[in-house]
Amino acid sequence: MIVEIGHYALTLALALALVQAIVPLWGTLRGDEGLASVGQSCALGQFVAIALSFGALVQAHLASDFSVLNVAENSHSAVPTIYKISGVWGNHEGSMLLWVLILAFFGALVAGLGRGLPLILRANVLAVQGFISAAFLAFILLTSNPFARLSPAPFEGRDLNPVLQDLGLAIHPPLLYLGYVGFSIVFSFAAAALIEGRIDAAWARFVRPFALVAWCFLTLGIAMGSYWAYYTLGWGGFWFWDPVENASLMPWLAGTAFVHSVAVMEKRDALKVWTIFLAILAFSFSLLGTFLVRSGVLTSVHAFASDPSRGVFILAILALFIGGALALFAWRAPMLKRGGLFAPISREGALVLNNLLLTTTCAGVLIGTLYPLALEQLTGEKITVGAPFFNMTCGVLLLMLCVVVPFGQSLAWKRGDLLGVAQRLSVAAAIGLCIFIALFATLRGGPVLAPIAAGLAIYIILGSLSEIAARVWRRGASLGVLFSRARGLPLSAWGSALAHIGVGVTLLGLAATAFGAETIASMRVGEPQNVGPYQVTFQSVASRPGPNYSEVVAKADIRSGGTIVASVEPAKRFFSARQTSTTQAGIATLWFGQLYISIGDQTGDGAVAARLYWKPLVTFIWLGACLMAFGGALSLADRRLRIGAPAPARSGSPAIAAR
Amino acid sequence: MLWVAFALMTGAAILCALWPLSRRRSGPEGQARAIAFHKAQLAEIDRDVERGQLPPSEAAGARAEAARRLIAASDVAKTTAGAGDGRASLRARAAVVIVFVAIPLVTFGLYLKLGSPNLPDQPILARAGAAGNGDLGAALAKIEAHLIADPNDGRGFKVIAPVYMRLGRFDDAAKAFGEALRLLGEDAPMRADYGEALTAAAGGIVTAQARAAFEQALTDRGDLPKARYYIGLAAEQDGDKPKATAIYQKLLADGPAGAPWLANVRERLAGLEAAPAAPGGEAAAIAALDPAAQQSAIRGMVERLAERLAQNGDDAQGWLRLIRAYGVLHETDKARDALVQARKAMTGNETAGRDLDALAREFGLGS
Amino acid sequence: MTRKGRRLTLIGAALAIIAFAAALALYALSDSIVFFYGPTEVLQKNPTPGTRLRIGGLVKAGSLVKTEDQKAAFTITDNANNVAVTYQGLLPDLFREGQGVVAEGVLEAPGRFHADTVLAKHDERYMPREVVDALKKQGRWQEGEAKP
Repeated sequence: MIVEIGHYALTLALALALVQAIVPLWGTLRGDEGLASVGQSCALGQFVAIALSFGALVQAHLASDFSVLNVAENSHSAVPTIYKISGVWGNHEGSMLLWVLILAFFGALVAGLGRGLPLILRANVLAVQGFISAAFLAFILLTSNPFARLSPAPFEGRDLNPVLQDLGLAIHPPLLYLGYVGFSIVFSFAAAALIEGRIDAAWARFVRPFALVAWCFLTLGIAMGSYWAYYTLGWGGFWFWDPVENASLMPWLAGTAFVHSVAVMEKRDALKVWTIFLAILAFSFSLLGTFLVRSGVLTSVHAFASDPSRGVFILAILALFIGGALALFAWRAPMLKRGGLFAPISREGALVLNNLLLTTTCAGVLIGTLYPLALEQLTGEKITVGAPFFNMTCGVLLLMLCVVVPFGQSLAWKRGDLLGVAQRLSVAAAIGLCIFIALFATLRGGPVLAPIAAGLAIYIILGSLSEIAARVWRRGASLGVLFSRARGLPLSAWGSALAHIGVGVTLLGLAATAFGAETIASMRVGEPQNVGPYQVTFQSVASRPGPNYSEVVAKADIRSGGTIVASVEPAKRFFSARQTSTTQAGIATLWFGQLYISIGDQTGDGAVAARLYWKPLVTFIWLGACLMAFGGALSLADRRLRIGAPAPARSGSPAIAAR
Repeated sequence: MLWVAFALMTGAAILCALWPLSRRRSGPEGQARAIAFHKAQLAEIDRDVERGQLPPSEAAGARAEAARRLIAASDVAKTTAGAGDGRASLRARAAVVIVFVAIPLVTFGLYLKLGSPNLPDQPILARAGAAGNGDLGAALAKIEAHLIADPNDGRGFKVIAPVYMRLGRFDDAAKAFGEALRLLGEDAPMRADYGEALTAAAGGIVTAQARAAFEQALTDRGDLPKARYYIGLAAEQDGDKPKATAIYQKLLADGPAGAPWLANVRERLAGLEAAPAAPGGEAAAIAALDPAAQQSAIRGMVERLAERLAQNGDDAQGWLRLIRAYGVLHETDKARDALVQARKAMTGNETAGRDLDALAREFGLGS
Repeated sequence: MTRKGRRLTLIGAALAIIAFAAALALYALSDSIVFFYGPTEVLQKNPTPGTRLRIGGLVKAGSLVKTEDQKAAFTITDNANNVAVTYQGLLPDLFREGQGVVAEGVLEAPGRFHADTVLAKHDERYMPREVVDALKKQGRWQEGEAKP
């Protein structure tokens, strides 16, 4: 009964989404406030219905109800509870349900917290959101129903794919979807502004919290996915320029550009049309990612089981929303009033440059991702565009961006003093340059990109710090005064500085990969092997049974100059239910670097094949991303995002969003 | 009970959608917030100048711009306040009607098409008692672990395969039987078990692969009842009634009195004799129904077959049966469709092609 | 600067960056495209030795030879033609004889290939799409084969 209630709730959600899409729009077109406000309660009701539905599916997975096809195909009674839950979204149907749940969550957020939004804007936002919801609910119900039943029910499920039986899966997709889907709100705001034909700086203020939330989650989601791939695939790689990874990177690039341009729009009422365009772009890339993953046009670790009818359906949704939004844009954008003036050398100008670089990078990724698909359609030739392409285009463009970042932070609005800023940044730039030269000299003819990146990373970190210092520091001021000045700085200033430091930290981690060491060796128990500055010795290699797998585990000691600094247990697991095996890398974090060991097959003479990597500063890659997200969250907490509210939050809740 | 819950949910959804219509408007509160925002921005310019984020020379211009925006926002507040024509109540009533009709219509319509309201939940705990799953699961895990350590232990596979059969994991059972046969060498009864597992995995259809297994078992031991039974079943599923009847009768005649499977064979035989036209094993049950229900039951079976073939077309016998069924039901169009699909699926399979041609001639389907 | 002048600077900057990016992309594309061939195509198209390629097909049963230093040699086949592949490193978890595989590396001589990456199929139900296509081209593929 619970299952069927969940199913019914899903159809109910579709009905509510349709009402939410149509009635408020009718209201705003006729200037009827009563009809316009219908969207709010519908959005809340829809969220409750989808939550109910999702809960029912989780319950079915927890109870191992194999009369539900989705459970029977993706779960097993012996799977640990945590993977029973994460198995809900470890498959196409369940993950789509999570997708719409998050979509409805953001809709409910606008409905519940957006009490201060202008009525017409809110009605239109919710109507657009309703359209998106309805399209995806129809997609789920008609092509990928998670509540399809089996009768008679099998006695046992087919098990969750072993690669997905990992804590990473429990976290990665929800974070990523919060990001992807969060941009749907930004998209809805843009479409609403176009429908209304009016947009001003206040719009930017309303949309910015949502954009920041989406951006933070997307940042974390991508970082989490990268770390998951790093430790689970056993190749020691953290980014493969896999089309699906690119599909998450493109909305991130567009979203990053949006977060910056919306700041210009809020402050200076400029770049309106461009900001709207970016909003459409960011969500379009999210949809494109969804399409690529689920249509089966790609071969990828991430691709779900393909089904042509799904691909066509998603393509139709894609065409409808992207095409519709761009058509609306072409029709309405010329009517929007132009905004504030600024000189090319100004913070606005720097942010425009930032936007140009980010979007061209995004275009580069898009070309690299779609070119092979297009070429195959046209000529039948199959090609891959590998890492060198992306490193060349995106790498160079993003490094150029890194040069501009500290300038953008330090320049004044409207008209900036380039010379003064350059003076202020000269120390940071000089230190960065020294590091570049030193590294370049030690590498002697190695990859030139790595020392450049390292130098730039240091320059960004110091530049961001110097910006904060310049704002706080006053000659002769006492420590107490300085402290109160630091506290007086708006949180968003701290947030942006921190996020930029995060960029530097990530860049440093990326640059450091060039200084790692890698060995593939036949390891015998007791025989040491050198990797980078460490020696690795296998103490034993033995079999061991696990809950639903069996594994071969090597116990390895890591020594530095004779003393043991860490012990790890790399393993190879075999899952009998699916007849597959996975590699569990043994990872020891030593300061910020990591020693990474993955083992392969045992050879006949008692040795075991192993890959050993020394990866200095590799954790910086993900720590930097966490810093970026934390910076975003700090900006979000800024009191200024809330000022202007006519009355304190009635509910008493900390109204971070749109207040 | 379920329908009461559905009705309550639908009611709640309708109430939820209509709730805002019943409230009085309090005026355009939202624009006030936009105005407050613009005022705050105007005030912030001074702070920006103080922090050095805006050159003092530009402050005047920025102030003028911000003031203009404030005025524009106030204008919007005034115009929206007076917007709306006098027909609001009419529209509200129309909206109520639409919501009242649309929500139940969409929801019930879709749910009736997609849902399975008659299926109860079947959590594993509720079923475990009956199947004794706990102990079995532990034993299974043990054998599985052993087989992982020693994947060449044919006897292990031989032990585990029937357990899989009991658990309904037919695919695994077939795999295990296959492994056992590979490792232990040919063994007619086990070959027949393998065929049985394949058949069960295919939902009771004797696939070509399963049939080959039974035939091989029979070449080794011509009297093996299980293999003979399934060959009979295959004949029955092909619609070759005389052959099936002959095999079943022979089985009954040869069988030792009191063998447990005799009842099963007798049942099949009875079913065959009772319902000459209906293919498959549900014949007896169908024969007992009144003619209209009979017709719909047969159609249901045919549809299931068609669906299965649409998913996996690699089954010549299945196609033949489907086309024959359509022919018997006088659904010539569907028969022709199925023929086209069958030819597509069977390209390269000459025997099947000939059979299809013969069948097409029999029902006058043309080519 | 006038409004028009500012606008022109902006557009100029945008065009410059886009032109630079396009040049970069074209240069990088010409340098880093890797073609995907099946064994038969390798023979037909006969790329010059030294070309970077991805080759997909089935691992020929009985062809895998492992030597010391983690070197492995195996044959990729589409059941019509073969390519001998050498590889140094750990073979992926799912690498098995008779199963689909994609190898990326450099063609050393006609019919001889040195791989630096080997990808095996990722799930028992999954076969790299390129491999399926390559096999289909050779008529060696029957629908339903990938199913367990």
